[in-house]
Amino acid sequence: MKKSRAIVAGIATFALVGALGMFGCSGGSNNGGSAAPKADAIELQIFAANSLEKALPEVQALYTKAHPEVTFSDTQFKASGDLVTELKGGATADLLITASGATMDDAEAAKAVDTATRTDMFTNELVVVQSIGAKVQATKLEDLKKIDGKIAVGEPSVVPAGKYANQALASVGLYSNPEGVDGKYDESIAKKIVEADKVGTACQYVASGDCAVGFVYTSDLYRYEGVDVAFTTPSDSHKPIKYPGAVCTTTKNADTAADFMNFCLTDADAQKVWATYGFEMAAK
Amino acid sequence: MDEIGKDGALSTISQLGERASRAVRLLLALALALCVAAPQLLAPAHAFAAPADDAPKSAVDESTNLGVSEFERLQIGSSKTYEGKDYGYAFPLGKEKGESVTALVTPDCVLVYVAPEVASRAGFDPKDQSHTAALEAMMEQLDAGISRGGKTLDSLELPYVYVDQKECVRGDFTYRFAQEIEPDYFYVTCVAKGDQENKAAARFCDLFTLKTAAETEVVGEKTWFEKVCDFLDPEHLDYRPLWVSLKTAGVAMIFIFSLGLIAAWRSMHVKSRWKSILDSIFTIPMVLPPTVCGFLLLLLFGQSTAVGRWLIDHGIELVFSWPAAVIAAVVVGFPLMYRTALGAFEALDANMLDAARTLGWSETRIFVRLMMPNAWPSIAAGTVLAFARAMGEFGATLFVAGNYAGVTQTMPLAIFYSWMGGSTDVAIFWVIVVIFISFLVILFINLYSAHVQNYRRSPAQGKSMRKNKNLPPKDADGGNGEGAAGFSSPEGETDGEGSRA
Repeated sequence: MKKSRAIVAGIATFALVGALGMFGCSGGSNNGGSAAPKADAIELQIFAANSLEKALPEVQALYTKAHPEVTFSDTQFKASGDLVTELKGGATADLLITASGATMDDAEAAKAVDTATRTDMFTNELVVVQSIGAKVQATKLEDLKKIDGKIAVGEPSVVPAGKYANQALASVGLYSNPEGVDGKYDESIAKKIVEADKVGTACQYVASGDCAVGFVYTSDLYRYEGVDVAFTTPSDSHKPIKYPGAVCTTTKNADTAADFMNFCLTDADAQKVWATYGFEMAAK
Repeated sequence: MDEIGKDGALSTISQLGERASRAVRLLLALALALCVAAPQLLAPAHAFAAPADDAPKSAVDESTNLGVSEFERLQIGSSKTYEGKDYGYAFPLGKEKGESVTALVTPDCVLVYVAPEVASRAGFDPKDQSHTAALEAMMEQLDAGISRGGKTLDSLELPYVYVDQKECVRGDFTYRFAQEIEPDYFYVTCVAKGDQENKAAARFCDLFTLKTAAETEVVGEKTWFEKVCDFLDPEHLDYRPLWVSLKTAGVAMIFIFSLGLIAAWRSMHVKSRWKSILDSIFTIPMVLPPTVCGFLLLLLFGQSTAVGRWLIDHGIELVFSWPAAVIAAVVVGFPLMYRTALGAFEALDANMLDAARTLGWSETRIFVRLMMPNAWPSIAAGTVLAFARAMGEFGATLFVAGNYAGVTQTMPLAIFYSWMGGSTDVAIFWVIVVIFISFLVILFINLYSAHVQNYRRSPAQGKSMRKNKNLPPKDADGGNGEGAAGFSSPEGETDGEGSRA
């Protein structure tokens, strides 16, 4: 009798320890699970457009080297529209970098970012890519009509690259809305369109051969192995591609976030990282 | 049973045991071979091609005694203004790169700038055909290695033009090399005449150090083994998903185990009509898509519902944190534990439990002393299955816990996101780890159930042996009937059985 009670008590203790352990750990998990930080240590949380996934961490490492007290928690690289939705939904971040003015306008309207700090950081080009070695005969937008295989395009309501792609398609009459969203694809390509949740996914669809061609940025070429440029879309076929950055309103480290943004734009070593990954600095 | 039959059966069993262990060894070898071969067979051709970061950055040409090192490629330039001065379209060469050789790809040629002092030190003569041919071959080879999918030097088929002046005018464009714009930082700049864009002047720019072959340290192509070591180096590969997975599944198992057992035990005592409803509720996470579970959890704990807001107001902020991953794992793993435990409890002899009740045992004591030990093999199997399920959880975890590296990024999430992020090799690594762990889990269940079956068979044999011991010595076998040694070996046992028969 005693023994059986002891065992039940044992199970209960087991569960209790588990519960305590779980909530004990949870305290640290919100700031990236780092060990007790120093009093003056700062950890920046950045929300950045998916296309910056490879280049930005290198610039962050340069910044930490120059300012050892500043580290970065797991930077979220998602479709710009998703990032803004998360900020609106209550996620906290220090700095937001999106891949289109429209998504940043959206964040501004929701008072998620500080309008005064908004700066255009980079520009990019929209290209049509194909898998390396694929025999795709497309040299201009009109050629997509007769292409054999699927076309990867970012989901236009959240992926800026998808919106730019639809604007480019609209310029040759293959999409009904010149704004690039809420329209219909022309019948000749409608069944070939595959929508991706972020621009990197569109690029990966092409790299893996699941799609014949895809609309991505020039910079995406340099972060995915296995894709090649079919052609660059004319720069007047879509709105200018700009990456605005702005300090978030929920930040507690506004000065550090602004300083990091300035570092991205002016530091000579950072410039070289951007050049290596194919990001052009926006003209001031 | 006659002597020969029994003897034959036992030798068959011992042979089976041997065969089983051989089969296990064979399976392990196969699994290992699969792990090694899978990346080669399944990986897309480019996944294991040397990534641009590992591409060789140096080369030498013995015949001309030239060496190229620190090869880099700038994919794009930018408009550069510094302290109010406009420098045009510039490629940042970096710190202390004033003596680098630059190969700038312009619309009609590749402009190679070699500073006169660099050329004389390296013994490079731009007018010597053999020198330029050797340099071009090295440039094209190294450029192809780090082009990262962009157009390569050799595919452009442009003529090479060598310049040794810092300024060069070609057509509408003026190029300036080794420009020190910021102190110690060097640039190549391009300015267009008239209303043409500066950007049209150049496509990309390679830069490298030119020395004599003797002075150049060639870092050769890494061997297969070195590449694997580099890949597994914790500096490059993030091992945290494994730790997060084990931690999440481990803590989840504490809850799954206790809740599952208690739920199975208590629901046995519930009246039948309610029982089927209760049972359906406990089991439904197993048949629901994990995204539905995830969505419901998100509604329960998130900002969007009154319940969620109430919980957040009272300090329970779970969404996108590690406890949320544990909760997701508990929800999907619980039904497996519950169902196996319930099945095992129901299979127990009801008369046995009633007999215990007539002896005045409490329900708790019956559960702990009678039901648990008798149902233990099934409970153990259920535990392992639930652990595997908790560790493999993807949909619900992604929904409520998100994908935060080192916090909520478990192995299944790491596979998905590393593939999406273009790191196919990392994804394949995690796939192999998951397959290996799953294989171990199933192997453990199989070995354990085999062990339990042996254990169940052995008491009967033990009894017969004990009987043998009491038999007069003359009936026992002469050779090894002495002591316990004979009982542990099948032969001894067989002889004993034989003598009894």
